[in-house]
Amino acid sequence: MEIEVLEKNDVNMRLLIRGVDTPFVNALRRTVLAEVPCMAIDEVVIIENSSVLQDEIIAHRLGLIPLKTDLNGYNLPEECPCKSEFGCNLCRVSLTLDAEAKEGTRTVYSGELISENPDIVPVSDKIPIVKLVKEQKLKLEAYARLGKGKKHAKWQPVSMCTYKYYPQIKIDSKRCDACGKCVEICPRKVLTKNVNKIEVRDLIVCTLCQDCMDVCPQNPPAIDVSWDENTFIFNLESTGALPPKRIITEAIKILDKRLKEFIKHVKVKTREKS
Amino acid sequence: MIIPVRCFTCGKLIGDKWEEFARRVKAGEEPGEVLDSLEIKRYCCRRMLLSHVEIIDEILRFYEEAEKRKEARNQYY
Repeated sequence: MEIEVLEKNDVNMRLLIRGVDTPFVNALRRTVLAEVPCMAIDEVVIIENSSVLQDEIIAHRLGLIPLKTDLNGYNLPEECPCKSEFGCNLCRVSLTLDAEAKEGTRTVYSGELISENPDIVPVSDKIPIVKLVKEQKLKLEAYARLGKGKKHAKWQPVSMCTYKYYPQIKIDSKRCDACGKCVEICPRKVLTKNVNKIEVRDLIVCTLCQDCMDVCPQNPPAIDVSWDENTFIFNLESTGALPPKRIITEAIKILDKRLKEFIKHVKVKTREKS
Repeated sequence: MIIPVRCFTCGKLIGDKWEEFARRVKAGEEPGEVLDSLEIKRYCCRRMLLSHVEIIDEILRFYEEAEKRKEARNQYY
């Protein structure tokens, strides 16, 4: 397996993975979506709420706010040695919010949540939680816990995790008369016309729609779009809870652990048979 | 009612982008271009902002009026 980083910033990452097959990349994708833990508000105690939104709606909105996660400092509630349903300092973070509209209507933002751990804070300070009219009040305490995407989507560390085959475009220069029809029809502008030749401008963005093959007046088409079954473009967009690199490394660790466990079980079974 | 925190379909955070979007569109900018500059690429996230109506503002007006009346009554008595 060979991995090349095509693009990377603080939320997006695009990888080129060579020498693997679909089941493997799909396992990686599903691990990222369902198994990589991250922090989200899970329990809310509402002390006072005279706003126009019901308690449940506010609690739901709080739950969906992505929180910056520290995976090394916290345990999953089910794996925490405290064994308490309520949680301890190692598996729970408390956040408080006390907002009152003293002078006219105002919006309460996620930045007003005060966390007991300054590292576990909302990704953005500008997410509106509720709007308050003069004299209305919102006072609450929220508990954030680690969780996994398979339980609730709020614990998914990514807002997008996809892969596609690496495209291969072959142009038969002997038969191609450079009519330019394929350049015109391509929705992603993959191809370009250079004097009397059709050239590939940006191979990565090709969606393999094969419209260029259908429109080619030559029979059989002078352009051929296919894909490499063992090379993938892996796209990942983090919600901001974890950096994309950490999500991938964490997913690989989890996948590795689960596969080892699987092998162990298979070995036990075969031994029982023999 | 109020702008959703995340996109319904993919889960991208969009709540924090609404106020800038609404302000710039009101100022006369092309909505599509504003979405591009906010780096909202997928159409699921784009429709979240494009089709949103902030109804909470309409509801708050009732409470604002009630508050004004209360103040007026206090002055009268």
